Amino acid sequence: MSSNWTPVALSQDVLPGMAIPAHLQDQDLVVWRSATGRIAAWHDRCPHRGMRLSHGFVRGEFLSCIYHGWRYGEDGQCRKIPAHPELAPPAAIKVPRFAVCESAGVVWVAPEGETSEPVDLPGFRGFRSVAVNAAADQVARDVAGQGHLGGCDVVMLVQPLPGGDCGLHVLVADGCADAQLDALSHAIEALRRRLEQGVAA
Amino acid sequence: MILYDYVLSPSCYKVRLLASLLGTGLDLRPVDFHPGAEHHGPEFRALNPAGTIPVLTDARLVLTESGAILTYLAAVKAPEWLGHDDPAMQARVANWLAFSQRLTASAGGARLHDMLGFSGDIDTLRAQATDALRELEAAIHARRRRGGIFLAADRPTIADIACFPYAALAPDGGVSLDPYPSIRLWMRAIRALPGFIEMPGIHRLHEQMPEPGPMPDVVRKESA
Repeated sequence: MSSNWTPVALSQDVLPGMAIPAHLQDQDLVVWRSATGRIAAWHDRCPHRGMRLSHGFVRGEFLSCIYHGWRYGEDGQCRKIPAHPELAPPAAIKVPRFAVCESAGVVWVAPEGETSEPVDLPGFRGFRSVAVNAAADQVARDVAGQGHLGGCDVVMLVQPLPGGDCGLHVLVADGCADAQLDALSHAIEALRRRLEQGVAA
Repeated sequence: MILYDYVLSPSCYKVRLLASLLGTGLDLRPVDFHPGAEHHGPEFRALNPAGTIPVLTDARLVLTESGAILTYLAAVKAPEWLGHDDPAMQARVANWLAFSQRLTASAGGARLHDMLGFSGDIDTLRAQATDALRELEAAIHARRRRGGIFLAADRPTIADIACFPYAALAPDGGVSLDPYPSIRLWMRAIRALPGFIEMPGIHRLHEQMPEPGPMPDVVRKESA
């Protein structure tokens, strides 16, 4: 599954009007969804004072910093500085953006300008994202080719996280009953315990 | 009702938050917890021998555990917040009230260590907080799978209020909340409740506030 796209979150976990923290390798990201449902992935840093924009808030199609309310449009450009309402913000005040797209219920991020498409996973949807206190390459080796978990058909996507941890995004085949999904959730917890014990051993 | 209160105490905030959500007032008596350690003094010990806050008094009733205080406040003012619709729901609420003590001991212990210099094995406290947060995350995800978000019922109960503050303030103790998408959505649902109030470190949903106008000093300068 070699791709320039990294899974950073599940679509169901970023509701319209929400900003959340995420990571692309060692880069801190803010992933946010506008009121009309448009997704964006940016550098998680307000150019003004360096506050994490993932602590910020969404109004309509804009993301605002929690610190002084500097407001940014979809292009990353600063559109409003509340302390100076008459000032047109200079074009130089801009948040670096990343390429972002959604498929199979996953939010995928790549460096800006990426032209390829993320892997297509028809028939699957996002189920749970968990953090695992184990290295991404080790976890990826462990779950490679594993298409079943807790009695469900699954796809497991592994995301490297800063500090040597990794994210495990579990996608499930459409049409599972509640009881199957409960079993899958327990199986994910059990898998994580096993992976983390592997680190301790 | 009188609440012996400290503004930076998440356990005191639980009581203030529930009272606000229920639209009821409390007579607040500030306790100089830090740096004065008033809660260890003889007058406070006469009220609560354990020397802990919060303490709620109502006439001759003296309550010294936050879970009991939440239970009493809800029972008097808004019994639907007790979650007593059926035995299973009642037991789920009791389970979460007990669970909240694990959050207090672990995430709260790490917070006291990092913020106020209290003693403790910080690595163990953080590991225990992570275990508790993972349990909370899995339970909320199970509620989400069934169209819910609150812990014990399809509406908020004292179970949510008991668990919310120490979960929300876990980063104060060096425990990141980044890996918990369901906890994030649950906290958002609580912060969106009518009557929600803040404490330092837990802010409201700014997007639900009216758009602020220009700052007053800017207006003055422009009209001068």
